[in-house]
Amino acid sequence: MNQGAATSHQPEILQTFIKKILLHLDDNETKNLQQFLSYFNNTNCKIIFNGAPFAQPMIFLQMWQEQFVQTQHALTSLDYQIIPGSGTMILNINSKVRFDESGRDRLGQDALIKDGSNRGGLNNNTRPIFGSYFGVSLQLVIDDRIFRNDFNGVISCFNYNMLYKPEDSLIKIH
Amino acid sequence: MNGGFHNVNNINAMAQQQAQQNRVRVAVYNWQNATVQDLLSYISRTMRVAIQDSFVEDNRVVGFVNTKTDADNLMKWNGMRFSGQNLKFEILDDISSSTSTTITFFRNTLFKRYDPQSKMLNLGNLYNDPDLVSQGLFSKPSTQSKLLPGLLKVASKEPQLIVDSLNLSDNSIKDVKSLSTLAQTFPNLKNLCLANNQIFKIQSLDIWKNKFKELRELLMTNNPITNSQMYKTEMLRLFPKLIVLDNVIVRDEQKLNSIFTLPMKIQQFFFENNELGSSSTDFVTNFLNLWDNDRNQLLNLYTPQSQFSIAVDTSQPPSTVEELDANPSFGYYLSMSRNICKVSSEKSIQQRLYLGPEFIGNVFKALPKSKHYLQERSNDYSMEAIAYPQVNGFLITLHGVFDEVAKPDFDINGKQAAKSSTSNRNRRYNHGHSPATNRLSKKSFDRTWVIVPMNNTVVIASDLLTVRPFVSNAWSTKQQPQSQSQQSPVAGIPTGPSSAAGAISGTPTGATSTPPIIPNQQQQQQQIPPALAPTLQLPPNVQAGLTPIQLDLLSKLHLQTKLNAEYTYMLAEQSGWNYDVALKAFQTSINNLPSNAFIQ
Repeated sequence: MNQGAATSHQPEILQTFIKKILLHLDDNETKNLQQFLSYFNNTNCKIIFNGAPFAQPMIFLQMWQEQFVQTQHALTSLDYQIIPGSGTMILNINSKVRFDESGRDRLGQDALIKDGSNRGGLNNNTRPIFGSYFGVSLQLVIDDRIFRNDFNGVISCFNYNMLYKPEDSLIKIH
Repeated sequence: MNGGFHNVNNINAMAQQQAQQNRVRVAVYNWQNATVQDLLSYISRTMRVAIQDSFVEDNRVVGFVNTKTDADNLMKWNGMRFSGQNLKFEILDDISSSTSTTITFFRNTLFKRYDPQSKMLNLGNLYNDPDLVSQGLFSKPSTQSKLLPGLLKVASKEPQLIVDSLNLSDNSIKDVKSLSTLAQTFPNLKNLCLANNQIFKIQSLDIWKNKFKELRELLMTNNPITNSQMYKTEMLRLFPKLIVLDNVIVRDEQKLNSIFTLPMKIQQFFFENNELGSSSTDFVTNFLNLWDNDRNQLLNLYTPQSQFSIAVDTSQPPSTVEELDANPSFGYYLSMSRNICKVSSEKSIQQRLYLGPEFIGNVFKALPKSKHYLQERSNDYSMEAIAYPQVNGFLITLHGVFDEVAKPDFDINGKQAAKSSTSNRNRRYNHGHSPATNRLSKKSFDRTWVIVPMNNTVVIASDLLTVRPFVSNAWSTKQQPQSQSQQSPVAGIPTGPSSAAGAISGTPTGATSTPPIIPNQQQQQQQIPPALAPTLQLPPNVQAGLTPIQLDLLSKLHLQTKLNAEYTYMLAEQSGWNYDVALKAFQTSINNLPSNAFIQ
């Protein structure tokens, strides 16, 4: 019965943990990828993104790094239930996310055909231009070890789905 | 009013010339039982109006009367008996005084210049259009400058005009300000030609910034603007998806697409395996059915260790999300919300976790009565079902929408909800509460169940509900090509339970616990046909006259037969709005149908 071990600060720990996960998703630095990967259970982790399954966390995170533009998540809702006897808990998370619509990928590359004449002004600014927010629902199954400050391989299920899309976004999800 | 008669009877040369300019075109119907000559002399004799230069066109006689007054007089004689029939008069195109006929004329011009096959609207070189010239549209500068905006305005009210490409070349356009509405009329325009105009101010194009997000090709050759040094940079800045500028490729299309498209398409359903798909669909269907009708019966599924909690996500989606409820009310939920981003008190967080059937039952009663439309509008729902080995069970998550149909019977403490607000003893909680905060409305939700199979039934170990403002969802593809799609969700076609079942059976078999990465064929099989096919474009007046059931039938027929809107409608009408009859009729006559009866 893990419920009995329910001490205070659980909500704070979880909220910090989730914010950390979302920050990792928004992180452009490839060198931080390994740390993010360490949160996932590497032998048996289910990852669903927008209804599509991924065999391994690494494949998902690599795709996220290489094929997504920069993102910015904002946590809007978090609820959790510890499931007695399983050593795990389920987290029900809602978030907003917006994408860099400047036309550059995470590595800063754009699609312009370079002919030497169009270098004026357009590329000098490397700040992201974030579009409107999309809605996200995220369910996580994580080990209760995180309450004992152990984050290694705690995520065994990651179910990330978009809920709504702004019509004025340049990003296509269909 | 005898002025008209007076004029007609006192023609002199001057007046005649004047009259020539003021002539109004009229049409006469229901005259066929006599000769045209008989008709004209009858009209002249009885109504004292002379119709000149007349000719027969289809079933009507078309001619000219000298003045607007004459034409108006003629209209007063509508219904007059003439050789056994009632005559009908109509003023045809009277540009100077009647806007409705101008609109009709503009419409005709638009459709004449529209090619549905290529979705191209050719409004190039309007000043040399013989029809427009003959209508005298270029006689005055004022009408000339209003022509293009006028045409565009009329175009914006024609949902049948699906325009991918627009040609505006050779129109002496100096400033795109006169075209400022273009972006509203055709927000998804892919190709735009403005060649051979006199556009010279690069800043003037700023009105199109953040518009035309799908513009792929722009042609501006032979405009002064192209000489500007900033020209290319500015065009690239204004049109983020521009690939071809003046016939030169300026962006790598493949790279651009990979930047602006998520690597995998969003899927409405994910089931880890077939069996889980059908059982979770059954579970969710039955659960929501009881949830809407008799929540007490659900309590059998909860054990003393089962948990239930609600989180209210009050964050407002951006206004550019379709159908957003910008003023949601969460009065009935907030006192139970366990959203730990918002609720800071640890005590509340503990209290709002409901444990065991008794407490869970109390909360169920304190929630507004609801109606889900899982069967009727399956496109409004999205679901994932995943094994949860640590509990020997499953995780089912459903995203969707429900209607609040009635207030809850009890408040959260199990007391009978107060009938009137004045008799409520807990006045301090009432402070600042208006009926608006307890308004019943549509809500979007996400609900996650952890279920554990046990002795031929299931137990719900965990039940987490998020309630949030209603918005149109991200997964369904019911995109309207034109900007104004005010149709109510009624037009969203109920695909029925079969589609959900179809989606399930469409998932690949093989109960591997580590599913393969993004199987492509699964994506396609899971794809549910779009609710309202964008190709089914009914004229608004026709659509307005149809019941939701008829619209549903049209949509189904249209998808099944691939007939275009007109023929789909004819087929439905001739079959007495019976789907089976219509389908049979279609199958027997399929070989006799012209090729233009089908969606191009």
